Amino acid sequence: MKGLLSRLANVTFILMTMLATAAFAEDRTVSVIVNIDVKTEQLTPAQLRKIFSMRQTVWPDGQAISVFVLKTENPVHQALCKNVLKMFPYQIERLWNKLAYSGLGDKPIELDSAEEMLKKISSTPGAIGYLLDVTSAENVKKIRVMENSK
Amino acid sequence: MKISVNLLVLLGLTLFVFSFNASSSDNFNWRGFVAQGVIQAEHSNYIDDEGDVTLKLTEVGLNGSYTFENSNFRVAGQVVYLNGGNRYPEGFRVDYLFFDWRAITNLDWQVNVHLGRVKNYHWLYSSTRDVPHTRPTIILPQSIYFDAFRDVALGVDGVAVVANTSNSWGDWEFNWSYGNSPISEEQTKNLIAPTSMGNIEQEYVHQGNLVWHDQVLKLSAGLLDSKFEYVSGAQDFFIDGKAQVQRIILQGTYETQNWLLAFELFRERNIYNNLIFDGFINNTQSEGGYVQGRYLINKDLALTTRLDIFDLDRKDRNGEARSAQSGGQIPAYFGYQDQFTLGVSWTFAEDWQLQAEFHRVKGTGRLAPVFMPNIMQNDRKYWNIWGVQFAHWF
Repeated sequence: MKGLLSRLANVTFILMTMLATAAFAEDRTVSVIVNIDVKTEQLTPAQLRKIFSMRQTVWPDGQAISVFVLKTENPVHQALCKNVLKMFPYQIERLWNKLAYSGLGDKPIELDSAEEMLKKISSTPGAIGYLLDVTSAENVKKIRVMENSK
Repeated sequence: MKISVNLLVLLGLTLFVFSFNASSSDNFNWRGFVAQGVIQAEHSNYIDDEGDVTLKLTEVGLNGSYTFENSNFRVAGQVVYLNGGNRYPEGFRVDYLFFDWRAITNLDWQVNVHLGRVKNYHWLYSSTRDVPHTRPTIILPQSIYFDAFRDVALGVDGVAVVANTSNSWGDWEFNWSYGNSPISEEQTKNLIAPTSMGNIEQEYVHQGNLVWHDQVLKLSAGLLDSKFEYVSGAQDFFIDGKAQVQRIILQGTYETQNWLLAFELFRERNIYNNLIFDGFINNTQSEGGYVQGRYLINKDLALTTRLDIFDLDRKDRNGEARSAQSGGQIPAYFGYQDQFTLGVSWTFAEDWQLQAEFHRVKGTGRLAPVFMPNIMQNDRKYWNIWGVQFAHWF
């Protein structure tokens, strides 16, 4: 019985930590970041929606866009969808599946961690991704998110 | 417009060769899915003639796409193997295979032109109707996604334009396509009657729709126009004939964190000329559509309920006039098909899904053959379908 209670306490702690992380992430500012050689400085939420939903595949100068995302259940991904793209995570996942299995396009490249995200964005020309509270990093720059054009 | 087999072969070879010679894995992508289920539709010929429990619920697909370096061109294709019993002909087929030209691309507009065998992008689930994890249920609403018409409605050998943009009102999409679909001998028998000895050719299908959406609401309106020709065979009961189908379709979705509501409604004019005897004309308007609700219990578990209604002739909704015309041979319940569905989808592991569902059906108006109904095997006004299917994708 004592063992069971202890295991329950552990599970509860893990669950509370996960929930806290999720809440923490959803309230924090998600920064959209690109490789340093991308010439675009600012994007609207509508333009970001098209890029992250894989409908916009090249930058204005013709360079291919490489889209990197974290796993759907990652709180930072959830925060990107909710606060920046103004979409529900299941909506963007459904769009990726529709593109990938109807020939219209492909899914983005899924990464496991923020460290991996930073590494990929800094080393891939044309790359775009996102992280929490980025201030500065080598070969990476932050995109200014504008209001939608009127 | 007819896209020759040569073009499809050329596209296939291009994709095959470049998949092996891709200088970088970034240029070539491939994906697939495999699904197997068990299903039963008792007292109907929907799945098989006996109405038994069957494993005829197999869907396998493999796709690839190659993007030509520093250009606006790519080629994409998918091969599928399907076994759905009587729902559609069993076997392998090229699902789509086309050149994709990025005609206009900037941060506010994207316009793509597809040439080859292109998918039907005009309905909510038409472009991925055989991909289990993209569907709300194993069996899609038959008013719109009529299985006996699957191969014809799947897409066209022709050209398509897919465009999207955004403005202060929201996001916009426009889809247009023109071409025709090859119709197999088995499909011809499904559509006309098992005894037909001729061939149906689709002269053309022309389709377009405009979509507006914001975060929670999506609305769409579309039009379809198509012509068919029946060329009779030797010792055929049927004679040469023509058919025209014109459809208007309205669609919408409303989506929140946990609730997803969807509807698709249509009215369709069907005109048949000759076919049975010289001078025969049949001009009817069908109507149908569905309302669907989904509740996401969590990101892996979803419940679905749906009411789907189809009337073969809106001026004879209970089918009694048609039954009387046949001298009572065709029961009135062949004039409609109303279907209530309850289903559950469970993603039990990454890229693995289990779907289970039950359908209570009233009427047999969406069972093949279309023109000469099978009154022997479809002898019940009320019948049921149930199914369970495992799916894996990669």
